[in-house]
Amino acid sequence: MRGNRCFLVVMLLTVAFASSCSRARKPLPEGVLVVSQEAASAWVRNFNPLTTAAAPRWPTQAGIYEPLFVFNSLTGSKVPWLATRYEWLEGNQLLRIHTRTGVLWSDGKKFSARDVAFTFQLVKRFPGLDRRSVWSFLQSVIAVDDTTVDIRFRRLFIPGFDEVAAQSIVPEHIWKSIPNPVTFTNDQPVATGPFTEVRVFQNQVYEIGRNPHYWQPGRPRFDAIRCPALPGNDRANMALAFDEIDWAGNFVPAIDRVFVKRNPAAHRYWFPLTGTCVFLYANNMRAPYSDVRVRKAISMAIDRQLLVDVALYRYSRPSDATGLSDALSTWRDSSVAATGDWVKHDTKKAAALLDEAGLRLDAQGRRLLANGQPWRCQILVVSGWSDWVRACQVMARDLQALGIDATVRTYDFSAWFQQVQKGDFDLSLGWTFEGPTPYTFYRWLMASETVKPLGQLAVGNWHRYASPAADRLLAEFEGETDPVEQHRLCSELQRVFVKEAPAIPLYPNPSWAEYNVGRFTGFPTPEDPYADPSPNKIDRGEVLLVLTNLAPRKPAP
Amino acid sequence: MNHLLRRLGFYAIAAWVAITINFLLPRLMPGDPATAMFGRMLGQLSPETLQSLRETFGLTSDPLWKQYLGYLQHVLRGDLGISAAYFPTPVTQVIGTGLVWTVLLAGSAVVISFALGTLLGIATAWWRRGTVDAWLPPALTFIGSFPYFWLSMVALYVAGFSLGWFPLGHAYSDELQPAWTFEFLWDVIAHAALPVGSLVLATLGGWVLSMRNTMITVLGSDYVNLARAKGLPPARVVLRYAARDALLPSITSFGMALGFVLGGSLLTEIVFSYPGQGYLLVQAVRSQDYPLMQGIFLCITLAVLAANWCVDLVVLWLDPRIRDSAS
Repeated sequence: MRGNRCFLVVMLLTVAFASSCSRARKPLPEGVLVVSQEAASAWVRNFNPLTTAAAPRWPTQAGIYEPLFVFNSLTGSKVPWLATRYEWLEGNQLLRIHTRTGVLWSDGKKFSARDVAFTFQLVKRFPGLDRRSVWSFLQSVIAVDDTTVDIRFRRLFIPGFDEVAAQSIVPEHIWKSIPNPVTFTNDQPVATGPFTEVRVFQNQVYEIGRNPHYWQPGRPRFDAIRCPALPGNDRANMALAFDEIDWAGNFVPAIDRVFVKRNPAAHRYWFPLTGTCVFLYANNMRAPYSDVRVRKAISMAIDRQLLVDVALYRYSRPSDATGLSDALSTWRDSSVAATGDWVKHDTKKAAALLDEAGLRLDAQGRRLLANGQPWRCQILVVSGWSDWVRACQVMARDLQALGIDATVRTYDFSAWFQQVQKGDFDLSLGWTFEGPTPYTFYRWLMASETVKPLGQLAVGNWHRYASPAADRLLAEFEGETDPVEQHRLCSELQRVFVKEAPAIPLYPNPSWAEYNVGRFTGFPTPEDPYADPSPNKIDRGEVLLVLTNLAPRKPAP
Repeated sequence: MNHLLRRLGFYAIAAWVAITINFLLPRLMPGDPATAMFGRMLGQLSPETLQSLRETFGLTSDPLWKQYLGYLQHVLRGDLGISAAYFPTPVTQVIGTGLVWTVLLAGSAVVISFALGTLLGIATAWWRRGTVDAWLPPALTFIGSFPYFWLSMVALYVAGFSLGWFPLGHAYSDELQPAWTFEFLWDVIAHAALPVGSLVLATLGGWVLSMRNTMITVLGSDYVNLARAKGLPPARVVLRYAARDALLPSITSFGMALGFVLGGSLLTEIVFSYPGQGYLLVQAVRSQDYPLMQGIFLCITLAVLAANWCVDLVVLWLDPRIRDSAS
């Protein structure tokens, strides 16, 4: 039949076409590091390191541009970068920073302290660039000479140093003629970092070549960074498994089976627990959660080990009572942490504590509130954040074991965030705010000044807890430069936190890092933990430590 | 002419209604782009940043009618504002990066599917009760009942991973620069083959079936019998007499399908990491990027209206009855 013949021809053509496309996949070019850090289907050009509004293309803040000091979250140290040293003068109100000599911008012009002063002035003039709110505590920034910058503080505020240190520095000779730096996309960046030359920028891939004038001799040791556009984790994970990517910072489920097993010689990962801690927030403006015994009882009811196994594929561990993740491990006082027994799973003790607080069981095994009503509570969580949702389900089950009618309610992110910010919740999962010291962390957990009344949008301290004891310690910390004293104050802060249990720590988030050692060496590993291994750590420059350490196995042709 | 003008007026009203809804809907959602951005960073942005973000995005608390008037003015000028998720790139430019590829991918899939499906429909109706007619329409309907993205995933796995016949994703090789060379065009075709193929496979059944069914009715009608009785060649009878009439319902659905090209291939684009518009839309909703959302919805609305307008014209040309009643 004619129809049949037609069909046959079409089939043959298809097969012929398919086999003509068929070919061995091209190997990745030597000396080019292929990274997947952002999810996108098409790249939009933006290399502006100062704007808050949108994330510029990776690694603009830590690779193209550089900060004064890089914060190494694994060792807790400040690595001198564009600055070489600093000192506090005039009663710790004046920060003097000495900048590095011999640094050139990628167009060959000299970098100096004047660029640093200019950058801070620019940030002051355009508040939309002040992503670290440095001008909330700075008075003035002046270049004394070509290598010295004097930064005067409006008040005693030592933790402000970390924000100043992390500021990306831009060249004065380019940026002084930019009319609106907030909306500037900076298509051809002139910077001090190891990679500055945008060689390719297409909608599905971009490539940044090395800085011809980089100040570290012999670095970087490879030619270019390439970022392919991959929409979403699943697609990026597939590319990882098929050796199309050298370095990524994704969540990969069951990573040993999915990724490592495909090529055990080259596929490696390391998930140090240096992310922020995930908390269960109990609303302190509502009874019975304002009672410390209730918060501790809820915490004791939670089987954290099970929660971590179920929600996080065992990539994390139960948090201790200080809530500090490994990024702040040098500050953790283990003797204080040991006194926090309220993070140990113990349903009997939890029930006894609730009885003591006057919340008893009725004849049907329901736990009653002080007004005699059965205790109902909702745990709020963001729909689609599957690890969080699973964690909430475990916790709801644990609370039901205490006779509490606990249910999980999932909301779209914005709806969830609005309720949390307004304090319209009983229990909710949430993140914490990280900084190089526990100051930021504890401030947003228990400082009185961060508490907003119910109904008003609060940017942090959503559980609305005020601790006068913590206020005093935080104020003392703001004026303390001596590391020994700082550690003592932090131990005290931990003691307050463990005693008052303002919020319930669950587990520290891992820092995600997968890499392929077949083409590049020098990634941080548990054996060589010189820095955090994740490409996501751009905020305080840590990625720079890795980028300047990587070396290709075969040099570029 | 009168008929066409009336249709045009109708489209103008439809466009206005769509634009208005487009303005209102995002504003009924809780939150704003600044808080969404803040949330995505999971505590990496200091809480104080929120104010500077609000300032940058220019979030106003003007009364709604004032915002609406401003919005209308801008739309008429073709200025869709600045995207919040891809700040500070204008929305038109953001949409521009993906639009071409989406139109290429989904557009060619719809056109191929329609053309092939209609031809197969005509063929199966003409040789009805033959072997091809016995198994092709049921087989295609069976395949078409799977979700299209599932077919995409199977195609990617089988022909991409296991057999290695086709590239795994993207619209062209990363090494190539877009240019009007044979090498580049061939590369684009090779990259589009799987996604377009799976989209065609998923939609082919519908076209075949609807064309076949109308054709069979038309082939039994008196004027076709008369044409045959007069001894006209079969090809002429099928194509000029029967198919032209049977095409009318298919053309209407073709217009609809063309209109949905911009939003319809979203998941296929994501499966094949095709640099189209689909993921942009997801991203826009996720980050509460009103200007981008509105821009994309506006594009989709205008595309649907434009496609319908074209259908009106084609139907007018195909169907003398409407032409007569219109004049």
